[in-house]
Amino acid sequence: MKKGILIVLGLVLLVLLAFTFASKNKPTALTGVVKTGGSTSVEKVMNSLIYQFQLYNRDVRIDYEMNGSGDGIKSTLSGLYEIGHSSRDLKTDGSESGLKAIPYAIDGIAIVVNKDNPVENLTKEELFGIYTGKITNWSDVGGKDALITVVSREQGSGTRSAFSETVGLDLKERPETAQVTSATITDSTGAVQTTVMQNPNAIGYMSFSDVDRDKVKTVSYNGVEISEETLRSDTYKLKRTFLMVVKEGAELSGSAQAFLDFVLSDEGQKIVAANNLIPVK
Amino acid sequence: MKNCERFAKTTSLSKATSLEDISPKVKLERIMHIIFLCSGFICVVAVVLISLYMVISGLPVIREVGLKNFLFGTVWDPLNSTYGILPFVLSSLLATGCAVLVGGLFGLAVSVYLVFLAGQRVASMLRSLVQLLAGIPSVVYGLLGAMLIVPLVFRIQTFFGLPTSGSLLAAIFVLVIMILPTIISVSENALRAVPKQYMDGSYALGASKIQTILKVMIPSAKSGIASGLVLGVGRAIGETMAVMMVAGNASLLPELLKPARLLTVGISIEWAYSSGLHRQALQGIGLVLFVFIMLINVVLHRMLRRGGESGEK
Repeated sequence: MKKGILIVLGLVLLVLLAFTFASKNKPTALTGVVKTGGSTSVEKVMNSLIYQFQLYNRDVRIDYEMNGSGDGIKSTLSGLYEIGHSSRDLKTDGSESGLKAIPYAIDGIAIVVNKDNPVENLTKEELFGIYTGKITNWSDVGGKDALITVVSREQGSGTRSAFSETVGLDLKERPETAQVTSATITDSTGAVQTTVMQNPNAIGYMSFSDVDRDKVKTVSYNGVEISEETLRSDTYKLKRTFLMVVKEGAELSGSAQAFLDFVLSDEGQKIVAANNLIPVK
Repeated sequence: MKNCERFAKTTSLSKATSLEDISPKVKLERIMHIIFLCSGFICVVAVVLISLYMVISGLPVIREVGLKNFLFGTVWDPLNSTYGILPFVLSSLLATGCAVLVGGLFGLAVSVYLVFLAGQRVASMLRSLVQLLAGIPSVVYGLLGAMLIVPLVFRIQTFFGLPTSGSLLAAIFVLVIMILPTIISVSENALRAVPKQYMDGSYALGASKIQTILKVMIPSAKSGIASGLVLGVGRAIGETMAVMMVAGNASLLPELLKPARLLTVGISIEWAYSSGLHRQALQGIGLVLFVFIMLINVVLHRMLRRGGESGEK
């Protein structure tokens, strides 16, 4: 009996010692404020990452202003933010050069239809036709004879802009690519799902992490079924990558660098996965 | 203003006498006076500040886009910086108008039943049920609308060969139910306030019960009933949540069986991700809505005053 107690006590001591040494190894000397900002879509995951990081580094404050990917990138270029958050890729037209994008999470965009809808696959062209209002009947894309109810998100939504960008919709100054104005507009991922669940002829798009297969059916895009594997292997193309953006060649402050490292660390990536996103590592 | 001056005088007088001379009773009087005055003052300040804020935040977009383009533009496309809110305004007006028309007739019928026809027990039960209806949160109405009314409208839409979706009609249905309690209780009070002699007089002239109600009682209570309708308009035009859940929210010019976006929904649905001119445009919608509500209040005020005067005569 006594031996057992001793062993247990010893183990507890060892564990305690391990913890004290481990915490000594953590960088605790970091201080200061890291200014970051940008995408609103990454709010949930970014807030949990920042929360956990600040638990380890109590003297560091990570500011995160939510003002959209565009502003995040712009303000990183101008030097206002050390780290910008973007839920879209950097533009390649030169307006956003001089920046380095660091991907840390992938969010798939699922095409969802009612569970009674027999359609299994839609191509990019078919989606474009449906969302611009040129294809109006399900029979044109291999379904039953019924009019399509297009469900979309409000303008400004990150999911909408990522979806539109991939499918080629909503291009500026090109009215033929504008989404059909009679589309039902909802203001959240959950509302898209509910609308599609209740309407047998509806089609919508939403964040893959929130899809509930008891309520809606996902449709393949260009012949590829959406899943964690196809997202990670880059075969399912309808997705968006969450990026951290920094200035190319600029020296980051210790705290900012530590935060970047933390997001890409095993623990950071676990937090990403816990927020229903696909980690990049 | 007069009250303020009077108050200033009493306080200056009170300063002349030292505090010990004042009995506790008088002291309490003064303290309570100040508390009531402050409450009133805070209320006025809040209204003034809100009005100022609405105007200041709503004007930039009108300056930028132009009042005519803003109010009468038919295209709402923030992506290409086109901000025309005519579809929202017309949808709001149509939805509110139809809802008040239907709800008004129905509500008036219910209140007539409550006042003249129902037995006492039935009436009191019905009355408490109506009051319960008034207490249900609007999101619950939206939920019921989305689950019961929208699928019903699907059938009508399929019949007419339209795509099934949330629609202006569904929004009107929900609004009718939501404004009923207001209309019923206000017009019930108005009908009850008609002097009993009117009814007796009508009976004495040989009129039947229904004739009496339609020709004597309702016309005598008309200003009260009208103010109930105006209150209903106020409630309907300001409703957001329930409407957003059933209306489909597309920025189209209003058609009964197609999705429509009302003014209130126009603001709330895009607020979260808006910035710059887009956000200012949403604030501009707020200003338009504010003006509508102000107009309704003025109309209501006039109506009540006129009602009061005719009552005194």
